Parts: sequence; C-alpha cells; structure tokens
Amino acid sequence: MMANPGTLALVALLSPVLSFLVLSIVFPLRRLGRPAAWFSILCAAVAFASAVMAWRIQSVAAHPVHLVWPWLPSAGKTLADVGVFVDAQSSIMLCLVSLVALLVQFYSVGYLHDEPAGALGRYYAYQSLFAFSMMGLALAPNLLQLFMCWELVGLCSYLLIGYWYQRESAARAAVKAFWITKAGDVGLLVGIVMLWRLTGTFDLAELHSLAATNAGPLAGLSIITFCIYLGAMGKSAQFPIHLWLPGSLFAPTPVHALLHAGIINAGGFLINRLAPLFALSSTTLHVAFVIGTLTAILGATTMLAQNDIKKTLGFSTIGQMGYMIMECGLGAFSLAVFHLIAHGLFKATVFLNCGNVIHKARQEPHFPHVDHQTDEEGMSRLTWITGSVTTLLTPLFILLLTHGVLRIPLLESQGTVIFLFFIWITSSQAILTLTRLRQVASWKVSAAMLMTLLFVVFVYLFAVESFTAFLYPDPEKVASYFKAAALPDWLFDLIILAATILMVASWSYLYLTAHGRTLRMPAWIDALRIRLYLPFMNRLYGDELHQLLGDTIMRWVHQFDKRERGWSR
Amino acid sequence: MMDAALLSWLLVGTPLLGALVNLFFWSNADHLKLSSILWSAISFGSLIGFAGYLAMPPEGLLPLYLLPLTAVVSLLAQPARDDYRQSCTMTLVLLGLGLSVLTSQPVVGSLALAVLLFILAILLYRHHSALWPMSWWGIGTYGLGAFCALLTVGAGPPVSSMASLVACAVLLPLMPFHDGHLTALTRLPGSLPAFIVVLLPIAGLHGLPSVLQTVPDTVVWTVTFFALLGALYGAIKALAQSRVRLLLAYGSLSFFSMLWWFVAATRTATPRAALMVGTVGLATSGLLIAWQVVRTRYGDDIDPQAVSGLASGMPQYAVLLSLLALAAMGLPPFGVFAGFMGLLLSSPFPSTLGLFITLLAWLTSSWYIMQMVQRLLFGTQRQDLRYTDLLMTELASLVMAVLVLLALGLAPTTLFGTDHTRSQTSVKESLTWNR
Repeated sequence: MMANPGTLALVALLSPVLSFLVLSIVFPLRRLGRPAAWFSILCAAVAFASAVMAWRIQSVAAHPVHLVWPWLPSAGKTLADVGVFVDAQSSIMLCLVSLVALLVQFYSVGYLHDEPAGALGRYYAYQSLFAFSMMGLALAPNLLQLFMCWELVGLCSYLLIGYWYQRESAARAAVKAFWITKAGDVGLLVGIVMLWRLTGTFDLAELHSLAATNAGPLAGLSIITFCIYLGAMGKSAQFPIHLWLPGSLFAPTPVHALLHAGIINAGGFLINRLAPLFALSSTTLHVAFVIGTLTAILGATTMLAQNDIKKTLGFSTIGQMGYMIMECGLGAFSLAVFHLIAHGLFKATVFLNCGNVIHKARQEPHFPHVDHQTDEEGMSRLTWITGSVTTLLTPLFILLLTHGVLRIPLLESQGTVIFLFFIWITSSQAILTLTRLRQVASWKVSAAMLMTLLFVVFVYLFAVESFTAFLYPDPEKVASYFKAAALPDWLFDLIILAATILMVASWSYLYLTAHGRTLRMPAWIDALRIRLYLPFMNRLYGDELHQLLGDTIMRWVHQFDKRERGWSR
Repeated sequence: MMDAALLSWLLVGTPLLGALVNLFFWSNADHLKLSSILWSAISFGSLIGFAGYLAMPPEGLLPLYLLPLTAVVSLLAQPARDDYRQSCTMTLVLLGLGLSVLTSQPVVGSLALAVLLFILAILLYRHHSALWPMSWWGIGTYGLGAFCALLTVGAGPPVSSMASLVACAVLLPLMPFHDGHLTALTRLPGSLPAFIVVLLPIAGLHGLPSVLQTVPDTVVWTVTFFALLGALYGAIKALAQSRVRLLLAYGSLSFFSMLWWFVAATRTATPRAALMVGTVGLATSGLLIAWQVVRTRYGDDIDPQAVSGLASGMPQYAVLLSLLALAAMGLPPFGVFAGFMGLLLSSPFPSTLGLFITLLAWLTSSWYIMQMVQRLLFGTQRQDLRYTDLLMTELASLVMAVLVLLALGLAPTTLFGTDHTRSQTSVKESLTWNR
C-alpha cells in the first residue's frame, strides 16, 4: 500500500497541512514557540521523506499516478476532482519544495531564536501552510485545484513577508506583493476559464493527451496561453511586474530563502505543467522569450549596481527567473525545470548564508572586512591568454563537441545554440570578474580554471540531457517543443551575431583600457555609462513608478468620488 | 403528507411568534437577545426538518438555510444593550417576512415583500444621526421597491414584469436602484445591517428567474449594461472610501452587480447564483459584525487607521477578520470563490469586455478590502487605547460566519439543489477541440 507513489505523495502533502491545522487550532502549542517549531519541522521531515520515496518509485514507473476523488459534480459528470497527480515533473518538484521547506524551517529555529514564543508559533504555522500550498500546486491533478493552491501560495507570501507586521515597511511590502501577484492571477484565471470553455476539462492529463492528438494551431489558444503566462509572470517576478520581490526585503531572511527558492519557481512550474499547450502556441513562446530575455538583462544589470546584499540577491533571482522563462520561450522546458531546481537549491543556500553574514555584521562593527587594494598594475600575459582562451575559444570547442559527441542536432535546434551562447556569456562574465580581480596568477590556476569550466559545462550538458530524458522520455516531443519555439531565421542570426560581437568587443575594450590605450569613443557614450548607473542603482525607479501609478489611480478615484457625491451620504 | 401552504405559514410564523415573545422581555436586554437567538435557531431547525416538504425553487434551498443562520450570526455579536432591543426584534420580524417571500405563494410573497420594504423605509426614516444624516434617496428607493412589489400583484403584464424587475433591482442592488442598499447598510442599527445584507439580495434573486424570462431582450441588455457599470462603479467607490460601512456597502454592490451580469446572461437563477449571493452577503455580514466589534469599543465611524495594531492587541479578532476579508475578496477556499467560479464556468459570456470588467472588479476588491484590513490590524499598538479581544458571543458569531463560508466553498453546490442549466461547454462530451 505504502509503495504507491500516489499514497506517498498524499502523505507528503498532508503532513504540512496537519502541522498547520494543529498549530492553528491548538493555541497552547502554538504559543509555546519552540515545541511548535519542532512539530512543524517533524512534519516537514516526514513530507520530505515521503516525497523522496514517491520520486524514487515514480522514476521507474511506467505511467503517472492519478489518485483523485470526485469534488464538484455538474450536469451529470464531475467538473473537477481533488487529489494528487504524480508524474516525473510533479514528483521532482515535490522533492524540491519539501527539501527547501525543511531546510528553511530548520534554519529558522536558530535564526529566530529571540522571537517571542507566540510569534514563532505563528511563523511556523505560516511555513506549514506555505509548504502545503506549494506541494498542492505541484501535485494538482487539474487546473482548478492548481489555481486554488496558486492563490494560497500568494496568500502565504503575503503572510510571510508581513511577518513583522508591526513595522510599517514590512506591512506595506506584504500588501504590495499581494496586489502585484494578484494582478497576474487574474490573467491566469481568465486563461483557465477560457481553456475550460475550449476543451471542457480541467484535468491536466486529459489536456496533455488532447494537445498530443491535436498538433495544429488552435483558435484562441494563443490568447489562452498568454493569459496563463501572465499568471506565471506575476509569481516569477518578470519585468515589468517584478517589483514585489525586491520590495520584500523587510521579511526575515529565511523567508527570503523560501521566496527565492520556492514561491518564485511557481511561474516556471506552471508553464512546464502546460508545456504541451504552450508548444502549440509559438506566439506565446516568443513573447515569453522576449520578456524573459528582457528580465534577465535588466535583473542582472540592476543587480550589479546594488549596494544592499538582499537587494543584490533579489535582482540576481529576477535575472535567473528571466533566464528560466527564456528557456521556456525557447522550448527547452526540461532545462527550465533543471534550472529551477538548481537555482532553488543554490539561492536557498545563499540566502541562509546571507542571514549569517547579516547577523555577524550586526555583532561585529568591523565586519565585513575591507579588502586591501593591491598595487599591482596591469595584467600579466598569462591572465590575458587564459581569459581570452576561456571566453573566446572554449565555446567553439564546446559547440563542436556538443554536436559530435552528444549528437545534439544544432542546425535544427535553435534553442540549444542560443543556450550555448548564453552559457558562454554567463561564464565569460565570471571569467572577466576573476580576471579583473587578478586571481589568475599562475599556469596551474589557469589550467585549473579552463578544466573546471570544461568539466562544469560538460557535466551540465550531460545532466540536462539525462534530465530531459527523465522528464520527457519521447525525444520527438522534445524536438517538437524546440520546433514550436523556433525564431525567424533572421532574428536567430541576429541574436547569435549580437552575442558574439558583445563578447569580442568586451574583451577588446578591457584589453585596450588595461594597456592604457585610449579608445575613440563619442563623448555621449561615456556620459551615458555614468548616467545609466544611477537609474540602475535606483532599480530603474520601478518603486517610484509603482508608487506614482498607485497615487495617480487613487487621485482619479478620489476625483470621481468627489464629483459623484453619492446619494447615500 | 404535509400541506406546503401550511408548512410555509409555520415557517413564517415561528420567527414572528418569537418577535411577539420578545415583547415580554422588553425590560431585560439580555433575555431579549437570548430569546431572539433561540427563536432564530428554532426557525433554522424547523427549516432543516421541513425542507424536504417544500417545493424546490430554481436557486435551490441554500438561501432558505442561510436566512435563519445569518440571523443567529448577526444577533450573537450584538451587544445586549437597551438601545439594541428594537433591532433584535426587527431581525425576527424581517426573518419571518423573508421566509414568507421565499416559501409562500407568489401573491402572498409579493405582499410580504412590500411589507418588508415598507418597514425598512420606516426604519431608515427613524434611524439617522449627525454622522449618517437622513437619506431620502434610500428611503425613496425602498418605497419604490414596496410600490413595485404591490404592482406585481395588481397589474398585468408587461407592467407587472417591469415592476417585478425594479423590485428585484432594489433588493439585489443594481444601479441605479442601489441607494437603499447603501443607506440600509450604513444607517440601520445593531444587527440589522448584518442581517439584511443577506436577506434582501436573496429575496431579490428569488424573484429573478420568473422576471428575466418574460422581459424583452432590450431590457436584458440594459440590465447587462447597468450590471457591468455597477460592478465597476461599486469597486471604484469602495476604493475611495475611508468609512468602513460605506466601503463594505459599495464593495458588496460591486459583487452583486457581477452576479446580475451572470444572471442576465443565463436568464435564470441557479444554485451557483444562490451560492454567490449568499456567500457575498454572509462575508459582508461577517465584516460588518467585525466592524461593529470595533465600533462598540472605540465609537461609531472611527477612522480605521486610528485604531491600528489590532493584530497584536486582539489576536483572535485579527485572525477572524483576516479570514473574512479573504472570503470577501473571493479567494479560495471560501464560498465566494466557489460561487464566482461556478458562475464563470456555467454562464455564457455575452462579451469578453464584460468578462474583463468583472474580473477587474474582482481584482479591485483585493485592493480595498486588504487596505481596510491592513489599516486596522497592522502597525504599532497605541498606548492610549485599551485592547480587549473578542467576547465569547462575538467569537462564536465570527467563527460561525467563517466556518459556513468555508463549508460553502468546499461543498458541492448540488447539495442544495440541482443545477438544471447545462453550460455550453459541458455539452461537449466527446472532449474534442474547437477548431
């Protein structure tokens, strides 16, 4: 009985809800603080263990498991079921969510040790509700249950961001997060309702099979998928509705880990859950690609100009979410899930560590220590050789090996090529940073750097290949996703060309300036560089624009109210 | 086999008898309150017992159950004070009349409706203050409603149909006949606003199916237009309010207008529509009760921001207010969401613009309700204020409201009646795509 992944997933789902209900109803336990925390952690541990077992069994099972009960009867049939749907995607997401929830809850015991007992109990009740909502989202067998859990996730983010509600800033950030994500939720709701009207079902398995048997474009599907994408935009903090994430810095640091490793992944997961439908709408995939790219660029650039550790990490997450949505837009759905998991674990670790740094900085006035500026001038030939080989020649080597060894059809798969170029740009950014920090001092270091880069990229590629085979065992399906997301040839060529020019130009610029050569740049370019720094440091004045928008709407509302006196006054 | 007419009189007579009995306890406010609650509970019990013998209306039996339940909820939270004796007794009278509207023959029902609206007009005439001055528009609207209810009995079609439609628009507020709703929710004393916000819309919904099937298409289109206008108007006006009772009145107007839009599209009232009306009413009722808790402690019409920090000072109150707010803004798993989704899925949309406006109004509700909750609960506690958490009766009342809203969100609507309308989509049994 317990060997059934459906039952195990159900145990994983119900463990945090048990914790939430016990902590909500049994007031004395909640008000004790630490015992409430340990009870919640115990439930989270049970959930994680069940999730891992469910994943292990499901990974060798031939078919997904549907464990549902009729819920809403309508006109002689069931409108929607309630239960769990365990397949490769949901089981792996279940593992991620339960692991992050467990780690964050465990870490919080120490981090929030000086909180009042009652408040700590309340915190763990929220944490349990969050874990349940995210797991419910991952395991939802139909869109209606998914939407309910989606809304609960939004509610949990509101409760957790506003945990220190006595502080005005925290309360304001919580409401802001709630409103912004709710705006996206309207799009999702419209999409779900329209999809139901088109297909007559909420069931994900039925929707997948319908999409598989109807490979052509469908009337209205682009609008539907776009509406659903709006929901994903809100939760995954895509430009221009990304402001709720950096605004949430007033929450406790473990909550950040949860936001950045859990809640924010909901958007990517939603798109992946409906990948077969998105694959039937090239327009939506292209829109997702454009917005994802824009978010990645703006997120990464803004991150560089921040001077607050939480904001820096916040914009780093936004940039990464941009990448993830971009991956979806290119049809690389399995890669997006891989990215989602990797980023989730990485960012949770970084944020939990960031909590330690903040704690330490508060206790030690001289922390963090200021590094000594080295007096070393210029860069050695070795540095330049290593840097240029790493950034300019290695990618070509990788491209050729990818084509020859992994047999990825690069000519037919635009998405893979674009990704390889993005890997190139990202790794180059890291190498450039190391080079500028003058960390490449010897041949040993240079060789180690090159080998590490090659190792990481190849392991990554193999891992992604294996992961893709796990999530989508049918290679034709994967190929069809890439095909659906294919960009026009001229745009594809333009992106590749622009990326190449950008890299070569960056290196040339760095080399020339390091050697004291003056570049004949128009004055306005230099002025622009300085001028751009300020807006990016101020996060493109997004918060101010948001405030202005809110104030303008409220001014109109009050003007309307003043003119329309209302007979009831 | 029990006679349906006799049964109806029995159901109607129970709360009216309770109102008469209340006169014996007039000198003791505590006993009067207890008596009112007991008679409402007896009414609820008798409804459960005899519901099987009643003719099933198109909107199902949920509205019938909700009326005495809401009466209990609103009476429980009311302070046992001398100045609230009248509102306790009037709650029972209005409950009796409301049950008459729902269970009696059409002629008797119309007469009961006229009496009900007439009583409300008189109550509005009597109850006003410097903060809430007399509103002749509100009184006039209920007067018009009472006149229209009488016309439905005396006049023939098409006058009777139009009169019935206007009466429904007064009860289930639709622009431009919404002033009665606004005035009643802001002026009436004690438990009455929390009760009539459920009673009147349910009575209005009950009359709708017969009316909408007889009026011409142009009238239905006009109703659709005003419904959308009302949804937007209510949301915008609610956004602008700093006075909680007005905010809740406009907010509920917005939601009821959404319902008008759905009902005009299907031209009938289904159990899903009843679920939406009942739960919107009950959520608003719960919020009115929650606000009454603040009013009894800190005075009428106080600025919510002035009593900030209730989350720390009154934790039980904070939890229940938050849950009611979530229900009122149409979030799952509460009944308003279930009703709203049910209507979204079962009604054919006359226009995409209408859907957009409806969802915009739904979205806006999370703005103004959340703002209100935030003003009350968040922030630091004031040192000069004494914070007293919920009394037992207040707690019981709010818990009941939350639990009922939760149960209605999770229970299938078919529990309270069969949906005879088959949605356009569910007809497609073959699960094929529209090409």
